[in-house]
Amino acid sequence: MSLIFVKNLRKGFQGVEVLTDVNFQVDKGDVIAVIGPSGAGKSTMLRCLIDLEKVDGGTIEVEGEPLVKDGIYAPPAQVRRATGKMGMVFQNFHLFPHLSVRRNLTMPLMKVKGTGKEQANALALETLKKVGMGDRIDAMPSTLSGGQKQRVAIARALMLNPDIMLFDEPTSALDPMLTLEVLGVMQKLAADHMTMLVVTHEMSFAKEVANRILFMCDGTILEEGTPEQIFGHPKHQRTADFLGNNIK
Amino acid sequence: MTTSEILATTQALLQGLGTVITLFVVVMVASLPLGFLLTMLARCRIAPIRWLVNAYIYIMRGTPLMLQLFFIYYGLPFVNDFFKMALRSAMVCALLGFSLNYAAYFAEIFRGGLLSVDKGQYEACQVLGLNRVQTTLYAVLPQMFRVALPSITNESITLVKDTALVFSISIMEVLYYAKAAVSRTGSILPYAIAFLIYLALNSLLQLFFNWLEKKTAY
Repeated sequence: MSLIFVKNLRKGFQGVEVLTDVNFQVDKGDVIAVIGPSGAGKSTMLRCLIDLEKVDGGTIEVEGEPLVKDGIYAPPAQVRRATGKMGMVFQNFHLFPHLSVRRNLTMPLMKVKGTGKEQANALALETLKKVGMGDRIDAMPSTLSGGQKQRVAIARALMLNPDIMLFDEPTSALDPMLTLEVLGVMQKLAADHMTMLVVTHEMSFAKEVANRILFMCDGTILEEGTPEQIFGHPKHQRTADFLGNNIK
Repeated sequence: MTTSEILATTQALLQGLGTVITLFVVVMVASLPLGFLLTMLARCRIAPIRWLVNAYIYIMRGTPLMLQLFFIYYGLPFVNDFFKMALRSAMVCALLGFSLNYAAYFAEIFRGGLLSVDKGQYEACQVLGLNRVQTTLYAVLPQMFRVALPSITNESITLVKDTALVFSISIMEVLYYAKAAVSRTGSILPYAIAFLIYLALNSLLQLFFNWLEKKTAY
């Protein structure tokens, strides 16, 4: 059974088709990089998976349970259960600015899962150490650099123990140095066998960390394969053209 | 005027201080939550509720507070016996009128605060599994409040000064005693003393809100 199964996914905004027909699946332990030109629908596709956007048609199943089947959504409780298996990291972090790093991590856990304060605090420290932010547990988000904020955001998502992590251009708001520190954390997650779906423009990450690459173009997945296949022998001219701009 | 006369006049004026403080405290306690409720109702999914709330805010902000006080104190008792009984006390009318009026302003202030909360905050809450109430309570409200705070300070200072309006429905407060003292003594000094009393109240208020702003900064 695949962790995520997507079939014939369609989505438009005010008459403009953003996703025309998206099909793919994610297996346990997969680290998938979703690449492609701007406007290809990568972020929209990711946002549909976690119910931040409503699809117009198609099927999304999470661990065998449908979130939406042939364009018809499951009841809210089932949708919540399905999306609850995923964690999401945004381009602009979206930390809670009024809460300390500690409370950013513990608040959702305590409110959603009813975890006790001490247990939540212990888990927060442990998770922050994983992303190299253990020493900043009592800092306010406004005092952190972009890279630090993103690492905290990753930790916050990890607190809820998701089976799958979705990343929506996690380094696009960061300079090259900060990008490296965030990619380092993501690489570590991958090494720990976290299942990850990463929308990214970081070709080095796609090449070196991902085990599969989805190349999206014009609202569909034009080509899919291992990094060697996609980077070494792209089947489509569009893929080759896109990567031509990215080969170092 | 001698020093003892000044002291006596000040003492006379301070008789009205209780009224000012009562008005201020009760109106703040009533109108802040009421204003917040209006803000929430103005976002309600049921359109007629939104229209009603917006009409309410439109009317309350668009007409003079003194006219509203007159309407409640002099006008409503003619409507029926219930209002006649309920609105016998001028102070009750003042508290009601001020609270209803200030709630409309606070509703708009909170609306501004709400607009300032980034869409990403709602999305972060959703993907973390927080429900609507939790999202509002733990993420949106604290940020909305912080943004609204300087405007709330402003409104509070206006409220202290506006309490002088209840003079018009024959409630004895600082301005009333000042006017009486001026007629009695023939000196305009009581006005100067009233001036200082309002200024002192607002200084304290400002100190409090400055402290609150610092404390809630992030």
